[in-house]
Amino acid sequence: MIKMTNVKKAFGTQTVLSDVTFEARAREIFGLLGPSGAGKTTIINILTNQLDADSGAHGIDVSAYETGMMLDEDGLYTRLSCMDNLCIFTDIYGIPRLKAKEALKKVGLADASNKAVSKLSKGMRQRLALARAILHNPKVLFLDEPTSGLDPNSAQSIRTLIETLRNQGSTIFLTTHNMEEAVKLCDYVVLLNRGKIVEQGAPEEICNRHNSYKTVPDLESVFIEVTGEQFCAYENETGIGRFKIAPSA
Amino acid sequence: MTSVKAIFIKQAKDMTKNFSVLIMFIIFPLVAFGMTELVARGGMAGMSEYISDTMFVTMMASIFVGMALIQCACGIIAEDRETKSLRCLVIAGVKPHSYLLGIGGVVFTASLLTAIVFGLIARFERSDFLAFMLIMASGTIASILLGATVGIFSKNQQAAAGLSMPLAMILGFGPMVAQFNYNVGRVFSIFYTQQINVLVNDFSAGITEPLIVIWANIAVFAVLFAIAYKKKGLRN
Repeated sequence: MIKMTNVKKAFGTQTVLSDVTFEARAREIFGLLGPSGAGKTTIINILTNQLDADSGAHGIDVSAYETGMMLDEDGLYTRLSCMDNLCIFTDIYGIPRLKAKEALKKVGLADASNKAVSKLSKGMRQRLALARAILHNPKVLFLDEPTSGLDPNSAQSIRTLIETLRNQGSTIFLTTHNMEEAVKLCDYVVLLNRGKIVEQGAPEEICNRHNSYKTVPDLESVFIEVTGEQFCAYENETGIGRFKIAPSA
Repeated sequence: MTSVKAIFIKQAKDMTKNFSVLIMFIIFPLVAFGMTELVARGGMAGMSEYISDTMFVTMMASIFVGMALIQCACGIIAEDRETKSLRCLVIAGVKPHSYLLGIGGVVFTASLLTAIVFGLIARFERSDFLAFMLIMASGTIASILLGATVGIFSKNQQAAAGLSMPLAMILGFGPMVAQFNYNVGRVFSIFYTQQINVLVNDFSAGITEPLIVIWANIAVFAVLFAIAYKKKGLRN
């Protein structure tokens, strides 16, 4: 359904993708995992023809119309209402405006349909962006860190919706740096680090290969093992906890 | 056509809620009205005999076309780029010409409504009114295309304002300077704003040659916009 073969991409002298090869099958949730700056968004941009690869081949088995996208930035019109934001796209796709109502209902924003986007919380904006992405029932859905920065409840509601869409026949291409989310959601994952694929397979298979099981498959340990990097917490001068990647001991 | 309609409706709704854009269409005729009334009521003692009835209307109208519309089109598109809304539209299959027609259609309509108000303030006769509207419409198209090109090339709204302001000032005020300097006038004669200024000040002068210059400007700006959209429309 979605294929990439030996794709390379550099911005100036900085190589962001090196020989990336993978295939996402139809009706699965395909996870592209890696830390910030690993090249996940670049892969989405190349697959959706927003960016040209320097070399290699890539393709999607459906037309551009049959793909939906939820990008890293929502691109919503903040002065307009939720309903107006969706109606722009129902008109562009040439589908009934009723679909906008349905999409808002699916993401739990039916009550906020007349609310201006500027008055929505981040979680609600994410859900509205997802509603826009699924408006035309796309066969392939690209989701770029859909739960990033959301509270657990909002993140869970988005995860549930993603699973529902997969069960209804959509292929989901998901990028995330949340390993736990990937284990829960994905049928197949690719681990990406500094533009290179360092591991791929079904989450449980990968964890088995690396003997990384706690009570649940522990993909994060695998990631640390294969990349030599780990996430750790520290406190800055203002005392606010932050996360950064540091070389493992 | 469905994309054009969708973007037109979106932009019309958005503009009614965007005071910083809306004000540009109100302030110029308001100032023209105020100054015209001031002269008519003898508020500018000793000057009234040197100032024609329509002087402030034609002056404000040509500044409006040359300045406000460039900044308006530029601001709208730069905002769409900055918020990544434009990227979403392009991914949804909206073509450059559809986007431009949708956004430009709203600015054009608003500009023509403003031009009607200018015409009413000046109390033009029917034939002069039609000529005035034709000139304003042509100038509006040129300004929308130029503003759109600057908007596409700008990374964000701040950059757009930084680029469009000097450009708009040169094109808006250049024709006024040209009235006092022959050489400046010759240089500016290749720009549409100079031709608009000449035309709205004297409808009896030949309209064909200035209109050719204006439409040549439009053709150049259309090509520039198409190149800018292809190069920058999708990029962050």
